[in-house]
Formats: sequence, C-alpha cells, structure tokens
Amino acid sequence: MADQTRAGWELLPAYALDAVDDLERRTVERLLETDPRAREALEEYRDVVAAFTVEHAPPAHLRDEVLARAVETPQVRSAAPSGASAERRPRRWGLVAAAAAAVVAVAVPTTVAVRATQEQARLQQRVDAIARMVADPQAELVRGQVAGGGEASVLVAGDDYLFSAHDLPGPGDGRDYQLWVVDAEGGVTPAGVLQVDGGTVEHLVQGVPGAGVAVTVEPDGGSEQPTTDPIVVLGA
Amino acid sequence: MSIAVAPLATAPGQRRPARPAPVRQTVRVPHPTTTPGAADAALVACADGDQAAFGLVYDALAPVAYGTSLGVLRDPHHAAEVMQEVMVEVWQTAPRFDPARASARTWVATLARRRAVDRVRAEQARRARDQRDVDTSFVSAGRDVVAEDVEQRLEGAAVRRCLESLTPVQREAVVEAYYGACTYREVAERLGAALPTVKTRIRDGLSRLRDCLGVRHG
Repeated sequence: MADQTRAGWELLPAYALDAVDDLERRTVERLLETDPRAREALEEYRDVVAAFTVEHAPPAHLRDEVLARAVETPQVRSAAPSGASAERRPRRWGLVAAAAAAVVAVAVPTTVAVRATQEQARLQQRVDAIARMVADPQAELVRGQVAGGGEASVLVAGDDYLFSAHDLPGPGDGRDYQLWVVDAEGGVTPAGVLQVDGGTVEHLVQGVPGAGVAVTVEPDGGSEQPTTDPIVVLGA
Repeated sequence: MSIAVAPLATAPGQRRPARPAPVRQTVRVPHPTTTPGAADAALVACADGDQAAFGLVYDALAPVAYGTSLGVLRDPHHAAEVMQEVMVEVWQTAPRFDPARASARTWVATLARRRAVDRVRAEQARRARDQRDVDTSFVSAGRDVVAEDVEQRLEGAAVRRCLESLTPVQREAVVEAYYGACTYREVAERLGAALPTVKTRIRDGLSRLRDCLGVRHG
C-alpha cells in the first residue's frame, strides 16, 4: 500500500500532463481519493499545465451552436431521465456506438499490480479472478467518457469483465446505474446494479458471453431490460 | 466578444509595448480577463442552471478550450470540435466546479487537454490498426515535436519564460509530453532514455515550473 502511495505521488506530475497509461491513472486516482494533499498538489500541477495554453478566439459562429446545445443538455445534478411510456420497450443497441466512444485498446502488461483492496479473505476469490483476467494476453482495456460526466473503463478477458468508473454523478433520486453485457448483435444481458461510492465503482462480471458492456440509468433496483439509452458503451 | 491574449510572462527581449516584462522572477499564471474571479463566479452561477451566466463563461473560457486544443492538435477543425465538446461538458458538469480547488481557467484547460490528448491517442490507435504490419513508425513520426514549432506554439504562453529555468533534458521531456500528447513511457522511447529518468525529469521539470510561476494552493 505504501508502495502504491509513493508510486501515485511520483506519477502525479505526469498524470497532470495526461502522460500516464490507464493503469497508472488508476494508481494516481486511488491516491487522490484518499489524500487531500495529493489533490492540492495536482491542482498546482494543473495550473502549470494550463500555463502552456495560448488562448485563441474560436470561430465566432460556434458560439450560438454551443449555447444552443447547452440549452438542450441537462446538468449533472438535475439529470432526470424522461419517463415517457415510449421508453419502456426493450432496446437493442448496435456496437457502432462503441467505436465512437474513443476506444483505446492497450496491451495489458502481465506484471500489473492488482489492487488487493482492503485485503480480506472474502475478496480473495475476486482478486484471483481479476489477476487471471489481467494475466490473459488476449485481455483488452477499453475506456470512454460517460455522458453526464465521469470516465469508465472495462477490462475484457474472455467472458469476464471488470468494469470501473470514476467521477460519476449520482444517478438521481429513485434511480440506479445498471450494467449490461452487450453482444455483437446488440442483445443485452443484465449484469447488475452498480454500487457507486463517492462517484467511483468497480464491478466484476463473470461468465457472460458478449462483446462489451453498457450502463444505463434505471429505476431503483434495476430493470430486466434497459429502459433508457446507455450513458456509456464500451466494446472490445 | 473576443478575449485578448494577455501573457504576463513576456520574455524580457520581446517587444510588447503596453505590457512591460515583470521585474520579479516569479510571475503569476495569467487569466483571460482582468477579473479572473468573474469567470469563476459565472461558472458557479451556471451550476444553478443559469443560461445567461453560461454566455459569460463561454466568452471567457472558450478561447482557453480552443487554444488548448489547438496547441495539441494543430488542426483548427479538430480543435473547434473539441472546444464545442468541452464547453458543453463545462455547462453539463458546472455543478461540480469547486472554485476553492481550482480556477475556472485551469479547469477548462484541463478538460480541453484531456479531450485533445484522447483524440490524438484514438487517432494513433486507429492508424496503428490500419497500418499494422505496414509501417509502425509512421504514427510516432507524425507526432514528432520539432523545436522551432514548439517556439511558435509557446508564443504568448505564460510558461514560456519559465521553461528557460529548466535543464535542457527536463525541458525536452516536458515539452515532448505536452505537445507529443504521449505518455512518459512513449517520451522515454522517443528520447531513448530510461523510464525512471524520464519520470524524474518530468516531475522535477513541472515542480520547477510551478515554483517559477508562483503557483500555490492552500
């Protein structure tokens, strides 16, 4: 743990420069979650990085476009999904959306230090499963932005998925985030309601054939079929 | 409305009549308007769904988002797209902005850089897939950071003068990471240097810049 903390501090400046890979980013973000001094140091480094910016007036016609888009875009805390009856029918999504989700596939090194969270015996099985996934040379890591805020990633190894997200806003009163495994034809399988803690979540799904995952906002407790459009789709 | 670029960190030898170079060694991070607090306050007002306040935020910070993207992407079309995404995200996530932690300018610059870098990497990944087995050096060659080009990009940036306070190798590593939009691992590969060495250069370089710029929180 102390090693991870030190690694996080050492990577902090590179993190501020967006010069870390996905796994290093997680190391730093774990430090940021627990250490307010690290958050303060990060803001200082971000000020430094922002000092590289040379301001430049954007094309004037874009102003109206952006303001019009903002009018239509709900803000994170007031993101109440529309509950119209038309929204009740089951949905199928093409994985085309996944391509648009800025897919960054990286080779996952086999020597990754898997986080053994609050080392407890009951987590061991889970840790073993994740270790196997990380060690799988076929494993792929995909990440993307979540509509409404936050970032999500999924490590896909065979029929197993380690989904994680951070900076998620609350799903709204009486709502939950629900994860789905999506197959190549766009069919979906429920993969559990996400337990978001402080905007962060990590969720392991095992043994479900599919090509990727998606998250929707569902009524409290989740649904059998998605009732809203996904806020993020991640495909391997 | 357009926001004039107002660098406080003008190099001593540079002619910029209305704005003499600061005498002190430490310079402040410049803000886009004369009252940086105004953008922060407008952004805070946006958190309550105030559309009019967002107009002010746009005018003050769209040049930050556009300039940041342009610096990384070098392509006005891509930079304009990133700017639009960033400014909509700014509106969307305004409730999360905390003026006690960061300035609105830094917040927007951070969002814009993240998206610009993501775009570069997605493009690199796409090309790497397309070019697999053909020419793997193509992608990285396309992102080489040329020294003269950097000088031009830094024209008017607050950090410019402070970069001179770095050692040549620190400067090289930081500039490569910033404009190359690459990870420090890739920086190490490009510079042919050891990984821990590059990590240290970036860390020490950024720390020196922080001190030179006089950035202090808390």
